[in-house]
Amino acid sequence: MRGATEHLLQPSGIAEACRQLTDQGARLQMAYAWFPEPGEPPEVLYLADRGPGKPFPLLRCRLSRGSAQLDSLAAQIPLLGWYEREMMDLCGITFAGHPEPRPLVLHEGAHPPLPPLDPRYPKDQLMPYTEKAWDLPPIEGNDVQMLPFGPVRGDVLESAQIVFYYIGEAILHCHPRLFFKHRGMEKRFEGLSPLMGTFIAERISGVGSVSHALAYCQAVENACDCEIPVRARYLRSILAEMERLYNHLYYLGHLCHTTTLKVGEAQGKLLAEQCKQFNSVFTGSRFLRGLLKPGGLRRDLNLHGVPAKLYALEPEIESYMRALETTNSHLDRLITTGQLPYQTAFDQGASGPIKRASGIERDLRHDHPYAAYALLPIRIPVRKEGDAHARAQIRMEEIRASLALIVKAIEQMPEGPIDTEVRLRPRAEGLGWCEGPRGSTYYGVHLDGIGALARVKVKSPSFSNWRVFPFTVHDTNMMDYAINEASFGLTIAGCDR
Amino acid sequence: MGNKLLLAMPALWGFAFLAALLDRSGKLARIGIALGCLAGIAGCIATLPAGFGSVAVGFLLADTPIQFHLSPGACWLLLFGLIPAFFAAVLSSTAPSHSRQSAWLAGMALSLLGALGVFGLQDAMSFLIAWEVMSLGGAVMILGEGTSELNGSPTLFMLALLEVGAVAILLSLLLLGNHAGSVSFGAMATLRMSPSPVVLILGLLLLIGFGAKLGVLPFYEWFPAAYGSGSGATGVIFSGIVLNAAFYALARGVLDWLPQVGIWTMSVAIIMIFTGVLSAILAIFNAFQEEDWRRMLSLSSAENAGIAVAVLGASLLFAITGLPAAAALAWIVCLIHLAGHSLAKGTLFLTADGVYKTNKSYFIRQTGLLRNTPMIFGIGALFAAMSLAALPPQAGFVSEWYVFQTLFQGMQVNVVAARLTIALSAAGIALVAAVALATFAKLFGIGLLGDGHTAPTHLSVPRCCGVFSLGLCVLALAVGMPWWVQMLGPASQSLFGINAAIRMKDAWLLVPLSGKFAFISPTKLIIAGPILALLPILLFLFSRSALHLRRVPVWSGGRREDTRRIATTSLAFSNALRTFYGFIYGPTHNLEREYDHGPYFVKRLIFNQEVAPIFGPYLFAPLTRLVRSISDSVSVIQSGYLNFYNALIGLLLVLILTLALFYR
Amino acid sequence: MPIWTLYGLSRGLATAPWPGKSESAQQQGALGLPVFNPDRCDENCRACADSCLPDAIGIEASASGERLTIDYGKCIGCQLCTETCPNSALEKSDHWAFGVRRREDLLWAEALATQEAQDLKNSIRRTFGCSLHIRHVDAGSCNGCESELQALNNPYYNLHHLGIFFTPSPRFADLLLVTGSVTYAMREPLLETYNAMPEPKWVMAVGTCAVSGGITGGGYSCAHGLDGILPVDIYLPGCPPNPSAMIHALLLLLRRAEQVVHRGHYGQ
Repeated sequence: MRGATEHLLQPSGIAEACRQLTDQGARLQMAYAWFPEPGEPPEVLYLADRGPGKPFPLLRCRLSRGSAQLDSLAAQIPLLGWYEREMMDLCGITFAGHPEPRPLVLHEGAHPPLPPLDPRYPKDQLMPYTEKAWDLPPIEGNDVQMLPFGPVRGDVLESAQIVFYYIGEAILHCHPRLFFKHRGMEKRFEGLSPLMGTFIAERISGVGSVSHALAYCQAVENACDCEIPVRARYLRSILAEMERLYNHLYYLGHLCHTTTLKVGEAQGKLLAEQCKQFNSVFTGSRFLRGLLKPGGLRRDLNLHGVPAKLYALEPEIESYMRALETTNSHLDRLITTGQLPYQTAFDQGASGPIKRASGIERDLRHDHPYAAYALLPIRIPVRKEGDAHARAQIRMEEIRASLALIVKAIEQMPEGPIDTEVRLRPRAEGLGWCEGPRGSTYYGVHLDGIGALARVKVKSPSFSNWRVFPFTVHDTNMMDYAINEASFGLTIAGCDR
Repeated sequence: MGNKLLLAMPALWGFAFLAALLDRSGKLARIGIALGCLAGIAGCIATLPAGFGSVAVGFLLADTPIQFHLSPGACWLLLFGLIPAFFAAVLSSTAPSHSRQSAWLAGMALSLLGALGVFGLQDAMSFLIAWEVMSLGGAVMILGEGTSELNGSPTLFMLALLEVGAVAILLSLLLLGNHAGSVSFGAMATLRMSPSPVVLILGLLLLIGFGAKLGVLPFYEWFPAAYGSGSGATGVIFSGIVLNAAFYALARGVLDWLPQVGIWTMSVAIIMIFTGVLSAILAIFNAFQEEDWRRMLSLSSAENAGIAVAVLGASLLFAITGLPAAAALAWIVCLIHLAGHSLAKGTLFLTADGVYKTNKSYFIRQTGLLRNTPMIFGIGALFAAMSLAALPPQAGFVSEWYVFQTLFQGMQVNVVAARLTIALSAAGIALVAAVALATFAKLFGIGLLGDGHTAPTHLSVPRCCGVFSLGLCVLALAVGMPWWVQMLGPASQSLFGINAAIRMKDAWLLVPLSGKFAFISPTKLIIAGPILALLPILLFLFSRSALHLRRVPVWSGGRREDTRRIATTSLAFSNALRTFYGFIYGPTHNLEREYDHGPYFVKRLIFNQEVAPIFGPYLFAPLTRLVRSISDSVSVIQSGYLNFYNALIGLLLVLILTLALFYR
Repeated sequence: MPIWTLYGLSRGLATAPWPGKSESAQQQGALGLPVFNPDRCDENCRACADSCLPDAIGIEASASGERLTIDYGKCIGCQLCTETCPNSALEKSDHWAFGVRRREDLLWAEALATQEAQDLKNSIRRTFGCSLHIRHVDAGSCNGCESELQALNNPYYNLHHLGIFFTPSPRFADLLLVTGSVTYAMREPLLETYNAMPEPKWVMAVGTCAVSGGITGGGYSCAHGLDGILPVDIYLPGCPPNPSAMIHALLLLLRRAEQVVHRGHYGQ
């Protein structure tokens, strides 16, 4: 797979190899499985990150015929827990010794005739499903109440169910039950041409269109050994930063909503709206959709008016952030709320601003530059406290950095072509990555014999971060829950796919 | 006629006691006790307001003839203790077998006899015997019915604390007897002691002695464990007639035997007020956190007794500072408070037994009980819960309102310390009333009203009727209070020189000595309320018939959830107060997670919580340790050597010889 | 510490003009669904149909040869057909106010049929015209529609000043607004929500996914939007429809605005 250094292993050697990687300080990023040929046993891949500048190690092993089983690594590397459960549900692989062998992606009561990601799964057939009670960790104690909050939640929110064990105000244990919105997007890619695949990638997480499309296009370009022109690189970076801007401004507004700072909420959401309108004026799409394609961009953009607009917007944003940082009632609710310690963040796979707020200093734009980031100055803001305030502060710094990056990129951007031809190679494989507003997005693309997509693995940052989230909720209280969830700023569509 | 009925009581109860011992089925004993109670009720009603004249029992105890006399106050409290006792006898305990039932009935007979003696006997020695018989009866009731599988240590703890009280009573009676030169209560009443520190000691001894039974701090700590190892019917007796008897003895002691002048008596009164209010506060706070019907109701009894003790103290204070009308009002208020309390508490204890019969447990939990039981059961329990929560128009509301009005009268007192005490106690009682409301909202709301999926219940018709009748009695007490309270008029005249009862009524209104300040009228409310409720009821019935209703399940986010798991639990209800008043409760809250393969994968969660008792670890445990260490050091006497014992006996004989020879 | 009231007042009025007055100014530059000029269309050219991922453009055999069928209810606005069409038969446009009452109005038809008299619930304007309460259910969307729905309450669109509110409980709701193509797990909760609403109630499908399934419908996990699941009163395609289009669709429901699209033709 281009973009990573591969190591082909036997199933029995995976545990040792992973241990070696973690000893060297690497951190596992994702694990997935695919079926290279219909009817043949699947292949499992593990991706790790060794640090800035070092290539991604990729461990691959083909399972043996007749026994689709591997030993679970979740006890040693906890963040693999969810990836293994996903493989159990969607690819039918068993992980022996998994600490939580419960269904994750497909709810209890769903009985697909074949594992859904198996290429032989009948096309367009809805799997049979009957609603069943959840398989939750039991709690003993006469006094404990259970609150299954959702899936239809108050206000305009995405669908998920959060199960609380609580007594009155004190939350004892929290168990989010996600994957109500599982649309089977990874299966959608099968058989499409790489160009059409972009539309699917853009719509996996609606507010992360650019980051997903960017990682996808880079994966296809890596697979086909395609170098895109410099202007296209710069434009891609600019679009990614524009997306980061409106996401983070909306995040600040939503955070104020949960701390009931009404004017702060209105101002934050208004600034986000102004950014979206600004996107619409310069690119035709409020969410920056329909611009990226494998090979570059679909059309050129005239960004000459952008720096002027940003210079007009920046003082507004600065004064807003300064006002937030000096409002005691707002800060009181954020400081020490939802504390995420460094070790938990590392072990559980936290990603993006959430991991940077807990002291892990990593950013894909800096460590493994893509698009034009190698040519632009990247600063990584880091905080140690790991509470909601730290997460908000990281995002504020990123807003400032994005504004500067957009202006700098427009300054440095040369004229020239914005796309090249992508020569599809049969059976090519490529890895693409992108640091989105919520964290690191990885795409693993496998092409089939005629150059159409055979398997696309989507690792969205919300998937990693939702796993971390319950650890900040146990033993806290109900008043802080909404603030904590808002301070993470995750999407459920990205997680559920 | 009334006298004969009152005399039938001890006869019937004595017969019942023997029947319980001899006849293992317990039928005769039940009939005997029930008839005795009925006789007592009829007799008390007949002899009020005059009371029952003095009768010589015929024995002589240490050269003193034993007299039996029921003053009107005693008749009143006896009456309101006997009404729930009658129902408890009819419905009987939830003991598992007949022989246990008869053991329980024997204990009940003993308790009732003892209580009668406490109310009526007029000399110190027979009084003490009756007091101990009452305690013994209580212990026999709990141990006999064997409701819980626990060993008898709660009962032992109860008896130990009651013994401390008994010793205090003994000391106080000795002191008084020494001053009066006789052990008869009549002599003690006519004694005019001169004010001196002895008065303070005497008052404290009386308070400790009777307070051990009333649940004054720190003695309320035996209540939850002891009540919690018996059945609800035991609680009816403990919180009804026994509590009333103890209070009557305290009231008589404090008002008759202490001189009503001087600073020492005033300090006794102030101490009583503070102790009463503090006991009430601590008891109701602990009651709110309880999760067992019997334990919660027991601590609520301690709270009500605390309020009664505080108002008694106020009565003494007013008598000393020259407000006899207020003093008489306060005394009457104590009596009506305890009357309403014993009726309501009895109802709820019988309800608790009904809950036990259905759910096989006394745990307060949502089980949808009211949906599956006849409506009258719920109505009776509701009236009782409303009364204890001091909601109009019930008896508890009337007495709570009167308590506050009495304390407001205290603002006329011209002693600063007294005014300050009254003000602080009013604040304390307000806090108590608020938490009591929450407690009974929790009890009724979660324990009875809550949702849940119970199988059809098997509540017997007698139990439903019993609970309903007692509940109606509570309402009847409140509604008829302007007239019932007149029974206490002559008594207040003789004690304080003023007939306060006449001034508490103004046609159908209840007023605190004068109608200018405030008034209430449950009598009018009981008429106006249903009339006003007619319109909404008619609208409701109309909407049910005229409009088409589509029923849908409870909305809970889109999935059908198990409503039992989501329901509010009793801990969830009381958790906010537990956290806020953590300095009183010292709560511990312990969630254990069982991990599997490391600290991130939880296999199972175990949760338990506790509230720490205050006096247990800080007072009783150190005392127990002290007694043990003393007994350890003294145990050298038990050397086991025969010759040593012989030497001791020889020494003792020499001592006796010396005394006989030289002491004249 | 800043005084937020003064901060807000000093920013002035941020609300867009009242609907009905120059809406297009509100969404400068936003691309809508492509406009079809059939006279420019080449016979035997399948470029647009081949480049349409959700199969909104189809080829149908008819008496006069093959012709294009366009279902705007499946269009995700990716604009690829406008780039692959050699003759600009499909052009980029700013047509985004696509809210319609009947599903057929999203299917492009040659000739405009006469508009049938509809079963008008005229009372809706009198009863709910000034105050509508919406319960939103996310039945498996990508979060784009939610982002635009959440934007309705920002100071620029300010949905409250039109008298329209989002409520947390279906018991108070008049309108059920559904986004997403109804995944297997959200089907029952969606129906529960619908049942939990008291009559009279309406349903609005927002976004191409809810109207027809878009590119997420079908497969092992999703239905094809609300068709066959709930009776829909207003369809609003778009991926996602921008907030002005959503406001137009809500006012269309309340009969405070006119429908713009008839049989696939935009405007009159």
